[in-house]
Amino acid sequence: MVENYKCVIDYDLCMTPKRSTTKGGQRDASQPSTTTSRRRFLLSSGVAGTAAALGGCLGGITGSDDGTLTVGYVLPFSGTYSLLGESIVNGFELFLDQNDGQIAGREVETVQSDTEADTDRGVSVTRQMLVDEGADVLVGPVSSAVAIAMMQTVENEASAIWLNANAGDYRVVKEGCLKYHFRTSFNDWQTSAPLAPWVYDNVADNVVLAYADYAFGQNSKNFFAEAFEEAGGEVVGEVGVPLGSDDYSPYLGEIEDSGADAVFSFFAGSDAVNYVSQFSDFGLDDKMTQTGSGFLLSEDTLPAQGEAALGKYSILHYTPTKQNDRNQEFVENYMSEHDSRPNVYAVQGYDSAQAFNAAVDDVDGTDPDDLADSLSGMEIDSPRGSFQFHPETNDPIQDMDIRQVVESDGEVPVENEVVETLERPELPTWGCSL
Amino acid sequence: MVDATTLIRATLLGLQLGMTLALVAAGLTLIFGMLDVINFAHGALYMLGAYFGVTVATELGSFWLALVIAPLLVAVVGGAIEILSLRPLYGRNPLYHILLTFGIAIMTQGLVVEIWGAQSLRIQVPDALSGTLTYGSLSYPVYWMFVLAVSTVLIGAIWLAISRSDIGIIIRASAHDTEMVDALGFDVSRVFTGVVVFGAALAGVAGVLLGASRSVNPGMGFGVIIQAFVIVVIGGLGSFRGAVFSALLIGLVTAYGALIAPSLTDLFMFALMAVVLIIKPSGLFGATEAA
Repeated sequence: MVENYKCVIDYDLCMTPKRSTTKGGQRDASQPSTTTSRRRFLLSSGVAGTAAALGGCLGGITGSDDGTLTVGYVLPFSGTYSLLGESIVNGFELFLDQNDGQIAGREVETVQSDTEADTDRGVSVTRQMLVDEGADVLVGPVSSAVAIAMMQTVENEASAIWLNANAGDYRVVKEGCLKYHFRTSFNDWQTSAPLAPWVYDNVADNVVLAYADYAFGQNSKNFFAEAFEEAGGEVVGEVGVPLGSDDYSPYLGEIEDSGADAVFSFFAGSDAVNYVSQFSDFGLDDKMTQTGSGFLLSEDTLPAQGEAALGKYSILHYTPTKQNDRNQEFVENYMSEHDSRPNVYAVQGYDSAQAFNAAVDDVDGTDPDDLADSLSGMEIDSPRGSFQFHPETNDPIQDMDIRQVVESDGEVPVENEVVETLERPELPTWGCSL
Repeated sequence: MVDATTLIRATLLGLQLGMTLALVAAGLTLIFGMLDVINFAHGALYMLGAYFGVTVATELGSFWLALVIAPLLVAVVGGAIEILSLRPLYGRNPLYHILLTFGIAIMTQGLVVEIWGAQSLRIQVPDALSGTLTYGSLSYPVYWMFVLAVSTVLIGAIWLAISRSDIGIIIRASAHDTEMVDALGFDVSRVFTGVVVFGAALAGVAGVLLGASRSVNPGMGFGVIIQAFVIVVIGGLGSFRGAVFSALLIGLVTAYGALIAPSLTDLFMFALMAVVLIIKPSGLFGATEAA
């Protein structure tokens, strides 16, 4: 309910799309006076939900006829997920800055409008980007609920390629299985299941599951449980915690009482900070080993978790401390523009730009069907290690890092160290075969 | 299923939640009682306490200094809000104050994101208070006991001050009949500023205390203000006694609720409010004539 409250507050602030055109590496934020009235128009049509009908005659105004590529960010810039949205944009624009503001030799116009974490807003922003702005590519969203709500619109319009720079719910593939949808991020099977056999071999043969009680958390613990039992282990209990809880004391009690030797957890953002630090405050570190999906212990939570995170294991597709030339170069470039180390979301944004660049370059055009054909099965040389779009599901086939939190001698107190890299675990396709 | 250890742990959590919420709700209810202002910005003051606490604790390296300095800084902010923005609007339609303080809350949230960023932060617990107390099968963090103790002592001290001291008498009298107090020769406008400053400082203390056991993030202000409002409504608008009593009630309901049905704890809280409002519309300790 707190979430709804915020939506009311931010609603008016985020209805106006922001645009910026990059020319020769210089970002030109000045807006031609003609767009002002049009923007106001967008605002009213978006609210009335008639954008699709009215947008057709507006599409010609900007469109992409002059060869300029239009990138539509379908991302949250306010509320709980604002950090993720900004990081994705930072990653995408790092690529632009490195390439004179161009993609495949063409000028780029980026348009953004805040989706918050709201599915209705997500759909209306999607429609706005596709119909009114004539976007050639959609980048986003962060929330899986928004992604699932967007599927119908993207399929109906069939006018742009969709680079999903975060939303990892497997149902986007299982229920959507869209030709235009390419995940530059991960799916929730990847950030849970491959960890299970490793935990069984290296940590414990019994676990308790603790998860944020919403779709993504439930998927993660189900995938982990299935893989753990398949490996021969036993799941002795599970504890669901409402999203956005402040105090984990009652749930930590249940986790402790389960008597398990290890716990697998899915929490993210401030939930992860609360859970991990309270897990340590309650002395559970002495009783069981903490393992989890990588969002539990990532760049955006570790500074706040501090020493409470030490020794804990997690799995993710990107680790900033990873020692390879491609990554070290990326980290240096990113840190020269931003004060912090790149997080996983920034890499997902950067790789979205890389993928779009490669595809437009390959087909020398922006026809979404050609772009989709080009992207299918394509290899991307990412800072995370190279990955390939699955020829049947368009999900990324990628290496997964198992990491442990260790003390750091750098500016941050603790950081992840890669313990083992699992080479391209074989992905389920959930009946999708494109 | 629910054994004694679980019950004791839930009770401790409930009391701790109640006492820290009382720190926030006390300011809210006193400000309403005296100024007739529904201060939506009170959650923002709580949040500022936590963020100031993070900065002081990191820069000066001391949790203890943070616990003293951060609330003072929040008090200054509270004073500035009262003098610069609330004061010119006294006597007007209450809607002005609601819009004003709501605006301040949103602006503060925006500023916090600009200054500290959107990611979660936390105040590091001092070494002296880290660790776990263990008694039989019950283990509980030392720091959480400290939070419970400090907030209980503070609330107790305020209770005494309000019911026994001269200032307390003026505060209670002003809450009851501002014009009469004014007529008797007291400078009510100074009392008004004082109450806002004091309420802000209390919210700041709560922010620092909880900023070391929970994550500090830009959404925390709106999260706490809803609970604080429910508490003030149940306790009776303007009643300090009512705020403390219903804060404990809400704290315990939240803690026990998490044992029974985690996803329904918010519902329990609002159901409780609805029941109280139906039976006693002015709240448990509300003065009926004020309604």
